[in-house]
Amino acid sequence: MASLADIVARPRRKGHATPDVVQKIALAVAALLIFAALFAPLIAPFEPLQQSLLSRLRPPIGFDRYSPWHFAGTDELGRDVLSRALFGLRLTLTLAFAGAVIGLLIGGTLGLIAGLVSGWVEDTIMALVDMQIAIPFTLVALLVLSLLGSNITVLVLVLGIAGWEQYARIVRAEVRRLSALPFIEAAWTAGAGPVYVATRHVLPNLVSPLVVQFTLALSNIVILESTLSFLGLGVQPPQPSLGSMVGLGRDYMPTAPWIVLTPAALIVLLTFSVQITGDWLRDRADVRLRER
Amino acid sequence: MIAYVLRVLAKSAVTLFAIVTVTFIATRLSGNPIETFLGEGLTTEGREELIRYFQLDRSLWEQYLAFLRGVLSGEFGLSFVDRRPVTQVVAERLWPSAQLLLSSIALTLAVSLPLGVLAAVYRKSWVGSAVMVVAFAGYAVPNFILAIVMMLVFSYWLNWLPVVGNGSFAHFIMPTIAMSGVLIAALTRFTRNAMLDVLGQDFIRTARAKGLSELRVVLRHGLGNAGVTVISVIGLQFAGLAAAGSVVVESIFSWPGIGQLLVNAAIIRDYPVLQFGVIAVAIAVVAINAVTDIAYALADPRIRLAKA
Amino acid sequence: MIRLMLTTALAALPMAAVAQEITVGAANMAPYLDPGRDHSNVGSQFYYNSFDTLIDRDHTKLEPEWVPALATSWELVEPTVMELKLRDGVKFHNGDDMTADDVVFSLNRMMQATFPPYVVRAKDRLGNFTHAEKVDDHTVRIIAEREEPLWETLISLQQIMIIPEDYTKALTGDPDVAEDSDFEAFAMAPVGTGPYKIESFQPGERLVWTRFDDFWGEQAPLQKVNVVQIAETASRVTALKTGEADIVTNLAPDQLALVDNDPNLKTEGSATALFHVMIMNQNHPKLQDPRIRKAMSLAIDRDALNEALWFGKAVVPSTHTMVEMGALHQPDLVTFEYDPEQARALLAEAGYDGFEITYDTAPTYYTNGLLAAQAIMEMWAAAGINGKVQVKDKWSGNDPEMMARNWSNPMYFADPFGSFGVMWAPGGPSQSEGRFNTDEDYAEKWERFRFSTDVEARKAAYAELMERVKEDPAVLPLYRPFESWGMQKNVNWAPMPGHIPYVLDFRAGSISLADS
Repeated sequence: MASLADIVARPRRKGHATPDVVQKIALAVAALLIFAALFAPLIAPFEPLQQSLLSRLRPPIGFDRYSPWHFAGTDELGRDVLSRALFGLRLTLTLAFAGAVIGLLIGGTLGLIAGLVSGWVEDTIMALVDMQIAIPFTLVALLVLSLLGSNITVLVLVLGIAGWEQYARIVRAEVRRLSALPFIEAAWTAGAGPVYVATRHVLPNLVSPLVVQFTLALSNIVILESTLSFLGLGVQPPQPSLGSMVGLGRDYMPTAPWIVLTPAALIVLLTFSVQITGDWLRDRADVRLRER
Repeated sequence: MIAYVLRVLAKSAVTLFAIVTVTFIATRLSGNPIETFLGEGLTTEGREELIRYFQLDRSLWEQYLAFLRGVLSGEFGLSFVDRRPVTQVVAERLWPSAQLLLSSIALTLAVSLPLGVLAAVYRKSWVGSAVMVVAFAGYAVPNFILAIVMMLVFSYWLNWLPVVGNGSFAHFIMPTIAMSGVLIAALTRFTRNAMLDVLGQDFIRTARAKGLSELRVVLRHGLGNAGVTVISVIGLQFAGLAAAGSVVVESIFSWPGIGQLLVNAAIIRDYPVLQFGVIAVAIAVVAINAVTDIAYALADPRIRLAKA
Repeated sequence: MIRLMLTTALAALPMAAVAQEITVGAANMAPYLDPGRDHSNVGSQFYYNSFDTLIDRDHTKLEPEWVPALATSWELVEPTVMELKLRDGVKFHNGDDMTADDVVFSLNRMMQATFPPYVVRAKDRLGNFTHAEKVDDHTVRIIAEREEPLWETLISLQQIMIIPEDYTKALTGDPDVAEDSDFEAFAMAPVGTGPYKIESFQPGERLVWTRFDDFWGEQAPLQKVNVVQIAETASRVTALKTGEADIVTNLAPDQLALVDNDPNLKTEGSATALFHVMIMNQNHPKLQDPRIRKAMSLAIDRDALNEALWFGKAVVPSTHTMVEMGALHQPDLVTFEYDPEQARALLAEAGYDGFEITYDTAPTYYTNGLLAAQAIMEMWAAAGINGKVQVKDKWSGNDPEMMARNWSNPMYFADPFGSFGVMWAPGGPSQSEGRFNTDEDYAEKWERFRFSTDVEARKAAYAELMERVKEDPAVLPLYRPFESWGMQKNVNWAPMPGHIPYVLDFRAGSISLADS
């Protein structure tokens, strides 16, 4: 899954600083979703875990048997679907950020090392990168989680490992490119150590490609987390994540589709808007991501 | 060239070994499978007897060595649950999975190539933008959501399409679309970019200058050249994606393929089936990747030079 | 295009009513089919159509009424020896005639089991029988160790259904010896004497039955039955709606109204002879004080669970008893109650400091299991117990860290020994998993309950056992779940009261298809 984002979005346009209509909408939606996730405890009309066995499976506003204030209806335990979806969004985004940061740390570090130190170190790291690409990672993640039993720590680690190789490739390539530039060579000749060169000259130049990759990785991780939680291997009940809400709610799909459709819509909105945002960031930064 | 091929093969072997080992470790770390698949109400002696019977009383290291010996000699053992050779259990699932995969690839190519070309040719008009928005959307909708929403609408509400198994053409429609959604999105975008690269090159301008029709230029010279790259991508990236997708889609549509088998085996902890199933999928994915790598290198000498 | 899809979809559907053929969408398909080693709720669906016991019962009646099956008559020739006359002209699905040797082989494969999966099953319910022996070609004897109050009940168990000796032994290796691998092979290619033969069987996937024309009894009403596993609840309902399935199993209570409201469909259901229970670990360091476990039990409003999750259709018991147990049914005993006030008082007395009490559940195994678990957490919270649900696929009943979890106590046969007795015997599964303790007093009561030949003595002993359970609880039966099947209107089928849970009985008189 990971390197696909890189393949499908090869360099196209240069320096489009102003977003087009679709991009504007996507940016607005992404901002709105992040805002909703941040302030979920303030916005949500109900506690996400609060049950009411007497008002189970109530439909959303506008339908018969609607229960007041439960705008998106209630679930199989009488919990408010909208509140759960908002908290689910919050958890899903938190996990995605954590996973993307872990991927960035692992991949960034290894990429930096591979870029600065040639020889067997670089070969080993790049062999690992190739291996990660060749492994059907979602499948492995699925097996590991189903066998080890899911808990948040394992889940976050799996999400982090899912995309590290992208960062490693970007960082290494960028380091290589920069090393050849005159000002870095000047630093080397002036007797600067690798740490100095890395922090002073290389890292600042890496910020924008990494931001782009980070954004694209976010939406991939949201999909991975949702898929795992959908299969019951990610976030465990009663905690809601968007994927687990869809997974647990699907038994009720014929009778109470709102339990599934609300979180499903949020997942799609989230991945869609984050993708387009990432794409816009890339256009803006005019980053050339190399394939290898 | 031979050095390059050897390199690719060595890398594939190491990758396979890593997957095999990770699977083994994960299965054994998850504890004793007896309770899970024989369920409730076992007495202590009963449990011990069964543990011996299934040879789970040996040390991890012994089990691992026995497992590796088995892998090398082609003996993968018997399923814990139904006591048949796992090779047979997995083999009877291969064809349904392959059918689904092939129909997904066919659909993906049939949709993505025209859309990608369209988006490239009309990149400056609303047509191109619309295609790209659709492609983004396809990439953003996880296959499990696509699957269950289709099921809700077309089977439950409209009663048009069957939902269980692989008995007829109608059974293929929803699983194939669910599998292909992400692939179509990705391949459309890739085709467009490859076409843009090609269309900007000198020989296209030459072809146009020769007075060839625009359609002929785009299809013959444009797609003809971009196609090579496009096809290689299918092998390189899609095998893994499809493997993951099949797990989800087969589970949802009760498709009797490998994906469903693996999920069930993981739940009831049928280790031998799980291990061999993962190995079979990994071999397929790694082999496709290796063949693509080599074929691509044959077509484009720069790659093997850069990598060797 | 839409019309095209429609017609292709329809073309794929089985033409049910025409050919006396139906398709069953089952939530679970068995991984193997061997009535001997199996006692799961999954397997019990399938055996009755393909296998016979020596003695059967009238399944339309709740009270046991024994009827001849492969044995035409039986009598006790000594208090510990039963002699049975065998039916003539019974054929196995493979064409072999059933002989006394087959019967002795089938009984002794359990009573003198060496194949480990048989040993496990034989010990917990057939432990009192030493062996079976052939008297002549039409007569066999079964020998018990002690006087047995439950002869017919135990001889009609699924585990000792009759299988062919020669066929089984010849499956692998030496054709004259019953090896373990023979029994393993049998479970993939099962052969019995019942009205449907197993035409094909794909473990975990599908099973095809066809009518067995040489059946000794009344001919089966259906020509062919396809059973397909449809694990997803929503898919099962959908398959029923699209007509892909004629019958689907395990409908959740929440979907009943939906199926019933469809003019082409209907539901049938019953409060299954099985308890969903909560078990509590007597030996967990934090739960050793029985007052804490009593409070965990008293805080649960089982009637509210029944109303909310089962629409009042489940049955909440006052003690571990079922109406099927006939003379041994004791509904007047009050072992389990709802009393949050007393729960709070007990917690205070025990000095409960608010430590977390975990409750394990599988995600989908028990209908409404996860929902009930989450609702119970709220009820606990109301009584001041800090509970937490842990969802795990893995069975945790033998984990010393397990505090509480859900489980089921099926009625394997119609006697308290067949449900409470199997699970909570001294040295039985609960004790050997380390979460339940018994002492000499309990064992003495259990012996009286199990082996007294006087019904009143058995009842009294059982009441004493229930008193022990009340004092130091390790189990709380939540309810008898209301299990439902959905079907097309033209299918006349309903679960029968005389069966163990989940049996899909398609024998003559049990199912018919109306013309449609």
